[in-house]
This record gives sequence, C-alpha cells and structure tokens, in this order.
Amino acid sequence: MPVVILSHPKEQVLFTNKPAETLFKKITNTKRGLSYSDIKIILPDTLKAGGSGEFTNVECQIPVNGKKTSLWLEISSNTVTQDNEPYTILLLADISDRKIKELQMIQSLEKERSLLEMKTHFISMASHEFKTPLTAISSTMELLQTKLQMDNLLDQFYTHNISKISSEIFKLNTMLDEILTLSTIASNNIEVRKQAVEIERVIADIKYQYFSERKDDRVLNLKISGTPHPIYADRNQLSKIFTNLVGNAFKYSSSNPVVKIHYQKTRVVIKVTDNGLGIPEKDMPYLFQSFFRGSNVDSIEGTGLGLSIVKDFVERNNGSIFVESKENKGTTFTIIFKYPDHIPAA
Amino acid sequence: MNKTILLIEDKPTLLDTLKSLLELYHYKVIVAANGAEGMEQARLNRPDLVISDIYMPVLNGYELLEMLKKDDALCNIPVIMLTAKTEIEEIDLAMQKGADGYVTKPFVFKNLHAIIKKFLH
Repeated sequence: MPVVILSHPKEQVLFTNKPAETLFKKITNTKRGLSYSDIKIILPDTLKAGGSGEFTNVECQIPVNGKKTSLWLEISSNTVTQDNEPYTILLLADISDRKIKELQMIQSLEKERSLLEMKTHFISMASHEFKTPLTAISSTMELLQTKLQMDNLLDQFYTHNISKISSEIFKLNTMLDEILTLSTIASNNIEVRKQAVEIERVIADIKYQYFSERKDDRVLNLKISGTPHPIYADRNQLSKIFTNLVGNAFKYSSSNPVVKIHYQKTRVVIKVTDNGLGIPEKDMPYLFQSFFRGSNVDSIEGTGLGLSIVKDFVERNNGSIFVESKENKGTTFTIIFKYPDHIPAA
Repeated sequence: MNKTILLIEDKPTLLDTLKSLLELYHYKVIVAANGAEGMEQARLNRPDLVISDIYMPVLNGYELLEMLKKDDALCNIPVIMLTAKTEIEEIDLAMQKGADGYVTKPFVFKNLHAIIKKFLH
C-alpha cells in the first residue's frame, strides 16, 4: 500500500514507499521523484477530514496532469504531533477501477429506472387512449339498440348479437384495467393506503355492486362467524382482491359461490369457495403467474392477470393466500389477515 | 318542457353519439368541444345539467368545474364528470372540486341515464 509521511511546517516529504512513488508518477505524469507540491493537490480534501489520534478516510478524485483523465484515491490520514511539530501520515489506495464500476452501475440503474418509468407511462397512456374509442363504440351500440327498441324493431336476433358485442367490449375494458394495474404494480408505483377496514363491509359492498341481480339468478352466499374485528389494510385493494376471487367463483362454476368470514382470536380467515371446474394439479404451481391460465379453462374468457394481482395485493397488505382445489369438484381460496396490534389514527 | 343538457366532450364521435342518445330520451342537448366553449354555452343557455369530459384541450373538465361552481348564477347546475381514469384519487378529486356525480368510461348509458334522472326529475 502507498504510504507518505509529511511535515507541514517544513513542507517536506519525510517518507514515501515504492507504491506511493508509482502512484504519484501516474498523477503527475512525470518520471521525477515525489515532492511536497505533488502531495498538495490531495491535501485540501485530506486535511478537511482533519483528525488527530485517529485515522480518517476520504475519497477524492484527482485529475491526472496533462491528461483529461483522473484517478480516484481513498486516503486514510492521521496527524500526530511530536516535539510540537505536526506530522501527517497518509495511507493511499487507488480505487479508480471500483469507482468506475460504481458509476457505471449507477448509470445503468438510472437508465433501467427511466426505461421502466417510460414503459409504465406508455402503458397507462395507451390503456386510457384505448378507452376513448371503446367508449364511442359501446355508446354507439347502445344508441342503435335504443333506436331499434323505440321503433319496435329490436327482435331476438338483434338483442342476441348486440349483447355479444357489449360483452366483448366489457371484456376488453376489464383487460385494459388489469394491464394498467399490473404495470403500476411492476413499476412499484403503487401506494398502499392502510386504514381500519371491516372486511364484511367490503364483501357486502362488492356483493351489492357486482354480484346482485345477475342474469342467471345466481347469488353470492355470505357466512360470518366469530366476533367482528377490523383489519388494517388498503380498502381499494381488498375490494379488488375479493371482486376478482368472487368473479372467478361465478365464472368457473354454475352454482352459488360462498364467502365465509371467520373471525378468530388473532386473525380473520376468509374463504371463497365454488363447486366448479377446479384447477388441475399440474397447473397449481403457476396459478399466480401473470398471463397463466388453467389448462381446463380454454372455453372461458380471461386474461390470466387477475390472480397475480390478487396475490400481490394480499401480500402488500401483509396477508397470506392459499388455494385448495379438486378438478371437477371445486376450488377454495383462503386468505388470512392478522389483526393489527394497534391501528394508527387516520 | 324538455330539460336542457350541456354536453362537453372533445371527441366528436362520442359527442355525436351521446347527443343522439340523449335526444332519443327527449332531452334538449347543447354541445361544446372543450371547457372554454362549455363555459360560454353555460352562460348563454343556463342548462339544467352539465355532463363534461375531464381531459380536454383549452380548458379541462376540472377547470370548468371550478369556474361553474364559483359562478353565482351557475353554481347550482348539477355537473356529472365523465372520466377514463378509474383510480379512486381521480374520482375523489372530481368530487372535492364540486362534481355532483361521475361516470367512468366506457359506461353503460342506462347507468348514466339513472344519474341524469336523479338530478332532473
């Protein structure tokens, strides 16, 4: 390791070793020996760190004389006084390689971050832009339907085919929303706004909002046991979690799905159950991956994004999710949230 | 007498379709292609209800909403906002600025009509 000992009042280099000579030849870009004035260029940084009795470390960038390059030095220094005279001991290390790699890493991280931001921004913009023509299409469909109805021309043929278009528009819109949610998740731009939430209220709301007055007359059965206790979570995300799971339960079965909320001593256990298609054993490991769809759901539309969003939201809210399923018997998703020790005031 | 609705939307196709739909239900419809035109029409025609898009050139839906709610002569006209954004924050912002209702795009006309009826009948 390069070592230099200096005397300031006399402006003298008292000692240097071979590595120090080599290092300073690189900096001064000459072949002559090391002088006090050569050391001076690194002194301001070093002495600022000051320190007596203990070694202090600084990193500094020193320009190479006559070249456009520079070296990075790590300087460990200590000033000791002997016979009323201060001496400074410098231990030097050329850390240029490490610094260059560090800078490259920071730059590539920065580049990656801005690319990710651009991607998220693009997806967000694109999915909003898609909604404009989608809205125009669906409104025009409704205009046609209303006019046909008013003119008494809306027969079964028109009704059937108009409803097919409407349902495809609805699916496209759901897909856009899911892609948007996933891209926000991927960019880590998603905020979790936790508050005290009564889970049975969330389920009751989505039951009313999404799953009442179904065309097929099926209903969502809600069973609650134990003493109700609030959890600390993001209401919006909880609502998305259960809208998705209950939506799936309706989609992949033909009977009435059941949501059981069981308040236990320290946690609440929520089970969403259907008696439908079930999930084949071999699909289980991939169930929560984006764009994965079960091998037995070919004829049923879906994006394969829902469950990956569900899992992400459950984990963001410190919950856990499990799934049990038997093909052709049904599926149960179990979600557990522990009660908070205390709920911070809003 | 037929109620008057001021419809403000910068996409001509959607504006045209919505106008026709509302007219099928016997509303008198005045249209504007941005917030500034909308404000002018509101002052001129004193509509019974305003339906406005949010993201528009010249004067956007939020700015229009603020101007309407600050105007003594127009502040009592109910305003329904149409938005392609479904984030709760966006909806909260519209409600904070004084919107009386909101509908997210794409919407089912039946739902929009239910809100219109709530304010006009």
